[in-house]
Amino acid sequence: MAESVDFEGLVVRHYEPLYQFAFSLTREKSDACDLTQQTFCIWAAKGHQLRDISKVKTWLFTTLHREFLGSRRRQTRFPHVELEFAAAELPTVSPASVNRLDAAQLFDALAQLDEIYRGPVALFYLQDYSYNEIAEILDVPLGTVKSRLTRGLSRLHQMLADKPKP
Amino acid sequence: MNRDEAKNILLLYRNPADAEDPQIAEALALAKNDDNLAQWFEKLCARQNALREKFRQIAAPAGLKEQIEAAVKQKLGQAARTTQFDEFKGRLLSALRYDLEKIIFSRRNFALATATVIVALIALATFWFRPQKGDDTFAIYQNQMASVALRGYAMDFMAANPVEIRSYLAKNGAPSDYNFPAALEKIPVTGCAIESWQGKKVSMICFRTGKPLPPGQQSDLWLFVVDRATVKGAPVTSMPQFTKVNRLITSVWTQGDKMYLLGTEGDEQTIRKFL
Repeated sequence: MAESVDFEGLVVRHYEPLYQFAFSLTREKSDACDLTQQTFCIWAAKGHQLRDISKVKTWLFTTLHREFLGSRRRQTRFPHVELEFAAAELPTVSPASVNRLDAAQLFDALAQLDEIYRGPVALFYLQDYSYNEIAEILDVPLGTVKSRLTRGLSRLHQMLADKPKP
Repeated sequence: MNRDEAKNILLLYRNPADAEDPQIAEALALAKNDDNLAQWFEKLCARQNALREKFRQIAAPAGLKEQIEAAVKQKLGQAARTTQFDEFKGRLLSALRYDLEKIIFSRRNFALATATVIVALIALATFWFRPQKGDDTFAIYQNQMASVALRGYAMDFMAANPVEIRSYLAKNGAPSDYNFPAALEKIPVTGCAIESWQGKKVSMICFRTGKPLPPGQQSDLWLFVVDRATVKGAPVTSMPQFTKVNRLITSVWTQGDKMYLLGTEGDEQTIRKFL
């Protein structure tokens, strides 16, 4: 039961990584707060359905991502993009220029990525989930995660390379 | 696997654990024997680490944890009541079924069975409408009213005249003997709504500060007035207390038997202008 779980401990352990994920998806502080809070509220209402409590973190990330996609679907039609193989030659973005990069520029670039790429890319950088776990969170097959990541990362690097240097 | 294919695959490499993936392992093996690919891969790793650092620097806003805890407490309370109610309903229905069977097979105790049904229904209603514990605290009130302001509401009455708004609220039994802070009196009103808190009415008065608003939005400053006694733990001070609730900055104070909650998007300095 959700009640039998120490929910304060649960919030303390997971709210920050969830917020980071939400912020990576939305780029808006307020939307990220809403999404994070909504995720815990869903856990409070439905968490008792979770049989394996060790999966609670994955469950929270899955729920947050679903909520994000759901809210976006309500706002706009979801564009379908055929995946193609990423460009093999990545643009040159040096680590030094990444360090000089303003966080806002990074999240601007991330926000320009199609939503289907944003989730995998954010999880790639934020968490140490295996690709199988990312597939579980995003509810897509492993192959799809990999192809979306390849494409998403490639595009992100491309956009960062195109940004005017600060 | 050629060099270009290896680059695509190595894009997914984060740490040695990823090398368990056969494709990544193959690409890594190729990089060991290809200087050009090895150099490219070294730069990629440095770049990915720098980006990872940027991502992990995202900090959650102060107060978010407390806000989530209050919201979850409220939800858990509702869920527990629903479960209790479902169990109670189940027991009651099985008892009723038993009584109805008795009526069908023996009409001798009809009056008794009818009385049982009535008593059971009263018990059910009493259970459902009993005063709830734990969900009437100030933090939950604050959260609930902020949600109303942020997540959309329908104005019950639209008017630019504060007198008409007060009159509408009075006519509908909502708190209407409120006082505006001096600065707030200068802000144009746009209307009002009547919200509910623990079965009591809350007056929500909507203002427009004059800054540009998105299409469809008519207000950007809201004042909630409620009887102080209905909110446990309400601050007993006429000095405004400022709290960030999600993207709303709220100012709360009490005056007489009323508690006021003023909210708008922004920071403490923003809201101080209206007090």
